[in-house]
Amino acid sequence: MSSSKIITVVIALAIGIAFGLVYGWVIEPVEYTDVTPDVLRADYRADYVLMTAEAYQTDFDADAAARRIAQLGSQPPAEIVSSALTYANLNGFTQDEIHALQTLLTAMQTYQPEDNLNP
Amino acid sequence: MNQLTRNSVLQFTLALLIGFGLGLAYSWLLSPVTYVDAHPALLRADFKDQYRIIIAASYAANKDLPRAQARLNLLGDVDPVSELSAQAQRMLATGETFEKARPLAQLATDLQQGYVGEPFTPTPFPTFNTPNAQFTSASTETETQPEISEEATFTPAAPTVFFEQTPLIPLAQETLTPRPTFTPTAGPGDPFALVSQETICDPGMSKVMQFMLLDSRHDQIAGAEIVVTWNQGEDRFFTGLKPELGNGYADFTMEADTVYNIRVVTGGAFVPDVRAPVCTDPNGVNFPGGILLTFQQP
Repeated sequence: MSSSKIITVVIALAIGIAFGLVYGWVIEPVEYTDVTPDVLRADYRADYVLMTAEAYQTDFDADAAARRIAQLGSQPPAEIVSSALTYANLNGFTQDEIHALQTLLTAMQTYQPEDNLNP
Repeated sequence: MNQLTRNSVLQFTLALLIGFGLGLAYSWLLSPVTYVDAHPALLRADFKDQYRIIIAASYAANKDLPRAQARLNLLGDVDPVSELSAQAQRMLATGETFEKARPLAQLATDLQQGYVGEPFTPTPFPTFNTPNAQFTSASTETETQPEISEEATFTPAAPTVFFEQTPLIPLAQETLTPRPTFTPTAGPGDPFALVSQETICDPGMSKVMQFMLLDSRHDQIAGAEIVVTWNQGEDRFFTGLKPELGNGYADFTMEADTVYNIRVVTGGAFVPDVRAPVCTDPNGVNFPGGILLTFQQP
């Protein structure tokens, strides 16, 4: 095989790969149907934390709140609530909502899982 | 086209296809698109359940029905009310307490009604008064519910029972025990009243005691607790656990020749002496029928 043929084949291969990547990433990407809450969009994550905060204002169950927030990722609950609070401050959440998030943040900053309390 | 050119085209096409396949394998298998901004509708079923629980818990706190509705819509359920009811049913079936399922049932009911309903609150047990010695017992259902007390008076010689029950001995001897006078105790909400008691002579519904609980607007009420007692025991259940039959629906299978006392915990309605009616089929054969009890708030 002459060098010009080899170059032609390599070019064809490169074009094919490029088409394959464009098709697989852009035109027909893998569709996810069973995602976990940790990949929720920032506004949905903030709303999820806000719902937890609203519930916490009624039941004061820090354990349940921590379990709910833990669904959003492996970071400490206080960190997740802090991110949501930052988002809330930047996106026009009401004072009541921000207050609820602050209350939850305080609770999560002082929260100790039962396992840690009773090793 | 000569042989040389044909070979070149073939090689080019082949290389193109192989490249396409490699690119596809990389983009689909080795490094697929990573989701970082997912919509709640894409959540896995168990996470959707968790999401609904949090929506319901939040609704229980803020009573913002439009917002709860909007949040539920994010999950992409075809019928959010049915999903809520079904989830409450699944939770109870897996042994969760009703306290945990209650917000879901309440939200389902309010969504169906279209307005914020009164939270279901247990009311005190009814009081029975007779001139004889008084017996009082108290119990607390859960730490989140107010203390519930039971009061009943009875003749000392009679069997110690709270509600009138089917005796183990023949009914004729029951006349020795005076029937207590029922005095409903006012509850925090409007009490349910028995508005109809229908006999169902359908062999398919034999011995089935059906309940339908309605509010003053004739909307069905989910999550209302009903207690059925009889001489050998007691059963507790809630309306709305069979959403396909209605959010205010509940049922219970009776035994023939057993007398039941019914109490609607939510609202304090009490119905004594309920038993399976005797029906006759077209061949003249008797069989125990069913019964439909409809309760409604005034």
